[in-house]
Amino acid sequence: MCKYIVVMERRNFIKAAILGGLFGAVKLKGNDLFAGDKMSVVASNDLVAVMGGEPAQMYQKAIEAMGGISKFVKKGAKVVIKPNIGWDKSPELAATTNPQLVSAIIKDCLAAGASEVIVFDHTCDEWQACYKNSGIESAAKEAGAKVAFAHDEKYFKTVQLPKGVRLKEVKIHEAIVDCDAWINVPILKNHGGARMTISMKNFMGIVWDRRFWHANDLQQCIADCSTYEKMPVLNIVDAYRVMTQNGPKGKSIEDVQIAKALFMSTDIVAVDTAAVKFFSQFKEMSIEEVSHIGIAEKMNIGTTNIDKLKVEKIRIG
Amino acid sequence: MYKVLKKTRVVVSLFFLVVITAAFMHFINSETSLFSQFLKLQFVPSLLGIFTGGAVVFGLLLLLTLFFGRVYCSALCPLGVFQDISTRVANLFKTKKQKRFSYDKPKKSRYIILGIIGLFFIGGITLPLAYLDPYSLWGRISNEIINRSYQLIQNGISYFFPDSIFYITLAHFAVGSFIFVFSLLVIIVLFSAFRGRLYCNTICPVGSFLGIISKFSAFQPVINKKTCTKCQLCVISCKSQCIDIKTQTVDTSRCVACMNCFAVCKNNSMTYSFTWKKNRESIDNKILPGQVKSLISKDNRATTQDTNIVSQDRRKVLIAMGLMGTALVTKAIKIGPAFSAKPKITGIAPPGAVSVEHLKQNCTACHACIAACPNNIIKPATLEYGIDGVLLPVLSFDHLFCSYECNECSKVCPNNAILPITLEEKKLTQVGKVHFFPKRCIVYTDGTACGACGEHCPTKAIKMIPFGDKGLYLPSVKSALCVGCGGCEYICPALPDKAMIVYALDVQGTAKKPPLEKQEKIKVDSFGF
Repeated sequence: MCKYIVVMERRNFIKAAILGGLFGAVKLKGNDLFAGDKMSVVASNDLVAVMGGEPAQMYQKAIEAMGGISKFVKKGAKVVIKPNIGWDKSPELAATTNPQLVSAIIKDCLAAGASEVIVFDHTCDEWQACYKNSGIESAAKEAGAKVAFAHDEKYFKTVQLPKGVRLKEVKIHEAIVDCDAWINVPILKNHGGARMTISMKNFMGIVWDRRFWHANDLQQCIADCSTYEKMPVLNIVDAYRVMTQNGPKGKSIEDVQIAKALFMSTDIVAVDTAAVKFFSQFKEMSIEEVSHIGIAEKMNIGTTNIDKLKVEKIRIG
Repeated sequence: MYKVLKKTRVVVSLFFLVVITAAFMHFINSETSLFSQFLKLQFVPSLLGIFTGGAVVFGLLLLLTLFFGRVYCSALCPLGVFQDISTRVANLFKTKKQKRFSYDKPKKSRYIILGIIGLFFIGGITLPLAYLDPYSLWGRISNEIINRSYQLIQNGISYFFPDSIFYITLAHFAVGSFIFVFSLLVIIVLFSAFRGRLYCNTICPVGSFLGIISKFSAFQPVINKKTCTKCQLCVISCKSQCIDIKTQTVDTSRCVACMNCFAVCKNNSMTYSFTWKKNRESIDNKILPGQVKSLISKDNRATTQDTNIVSQDRRKVLIAMGLMGTALVTKAIKIGPAFSAKPKITGIAPPGAVSVEHLKQNCTACHACIAACPNNIIKPATLEYGIDGVLLPVLSFDHLFCSYECNECSKVCPNNAILPITLEEKKLTQVGKVHFFPKRCIVYTDGTACGACGEHCPTKAIKMIPFGDKGLYLPSVKSALCVGCGGCEYICPALPDKAMIVYALDVQGTAKKPPLEKQEKIKVDSFGF
């Protein structure tokens, strides 16, 4: 009897050890096992590209392929969504992120249990006109998000960037500094100065003093800002409408191509690389030319080698 | 009856004070331009805008005065109403005796001031009129003091409700303008606290001008000498200090038709009478038959005196009308200022101002445009337009630039000093032209990418063209497309001198319509990777 118990105990012990080992191994791979949902089982991708649908629809497909929003947004989390609202332009002119996409992301975050979702951008044109005419303010409020002010220096907090080369200290919007997770939602555009504006360039809207960047090697500063310790949990590139010339402000509807695409990744360099490659089909643009991408890769912010990543390409319709 | 009239006057006057002040408030202006329509009902704006849509209002105001006296001064003029309020507030701190007004002799100085201002105005220089015009004065007070105080209050509230009330980035603070406005405010408050409508009857050019007309107005306050007991109730309530109880006459040139005297008179001896049908003597001389003889000699004297006064009045009217007529003629044929410092113009006028000359002739520096600008880029000029342009609105690109999709300033200007241009017209209005200094440009000096100017350019007058062999792009300017919005100048990071500078145009031009850059619509099936 006594022996039996000992045997059982030993057996239990071995079982437990094996299980524990397995657990540990899995946990190293992804720390979401305890999230309790089935998505931890779903193989997630490094980069997802979707094409052919409406903005909200493409977002749904992409986020499913990434393993669902609750992989990135925890229950009760304070979430910030940072679209590009830089200019006083209507959504058709593709100078600002598609409001339908912003709306879909907000709703998804709230459904995943986010305690609040904040949307803001430090605009270039007069902020109230930008918020209104981009359609983002109304879309965000309708979807249940707060729209934060970002037109005065008082809304920004100083943050150190120890890994930055030229940009070592920067004032970042308090919503980002105080949030639990933020999602970067740029629109894919041509840019006269930086050549392209995508995810990394979208950081110019979370900081106060952009002029410093322009005066101190713009491309290096763009890469430097992506060394910020609190990086976006997701980068979602809106390429539903793409401004291929006269960017980033644009002049007329002639500057816009209807591309109906969306890119999503946790790797900011990879998603920008993918977006440039996509853009290049409309207007030739090399990764080398968009030099902040290359600089960022050298600084180990991410990889341009998207062939090595787990990429899922989805076509709708 | 008179009590109702007086109450109506009070209600109308408060209404005008509120709507006119509201037109200068940031938070109201961003929602509606309804209130700024009321600015057009003011005297000087309608005079200045007489050839650009103000004629009807101007005519109506003259007719109003011709029929009812200076109703404008007590009901429509915001500064007048403000003075009444100031008087009332001061009365709270006065003894009963101190509250009483007494008769004051008319001041000659008002006609001298009017004459000087008139001569300047004929000469094409509006500035003296602008500084003393009561509406514009109130505009500046509203903008510099009330609006600014409001902004401080909102910023205070935003501290407690950071999510819903936004912080207003304080507008350009022009110290000189503030001191000027504030000192005038202090003077006016002191004047009105101790002497009622003293400003209106010694300094105000509008008051003096309307006073001359109101001498001949159809309805005038008249004392019935027969029934008047000389109790002085009217005198002590007359804030214009224009009722002389000794002669039982009212100086109608100074009466602002506030109707206080009618309302206080116990036995209806003070009446608002129609004076055109019968002359004044016949009203005065409803004399009892028994007294006729003894009064005849007196009467004769009085009549000759009266004719003397009347002929003097006629002379004044002729002079005033002559001044006004000449002013309008010179305005109509657009004679420039007779003399001008002619400095190099560095100030950029708001879009729609036509030219610096046009602005100088038509603007009274009421600062409605400054209050309306959502970007806060219009500020009161110091010497940008020269000595005869101090306080006029001038664009400054220090803190922002002129929004391409905005024509607010032209919507609110009551004088049409800034013409009401449509958004489409505004987008082609060239207020200045940009000049590019390549050797100051970051791309040139540092060999790094920038393009901030091209990024902000709404018409793509600035294009980035390949530069050097490091894959850099340098701005290139097509000034025919430039509207002078200042986006490039504002954002240019070059120090100490910006590489993009917008230079003022003496006469605003028309920019070339930005060409459509058609591109083939491409359909892609692949992701490209």
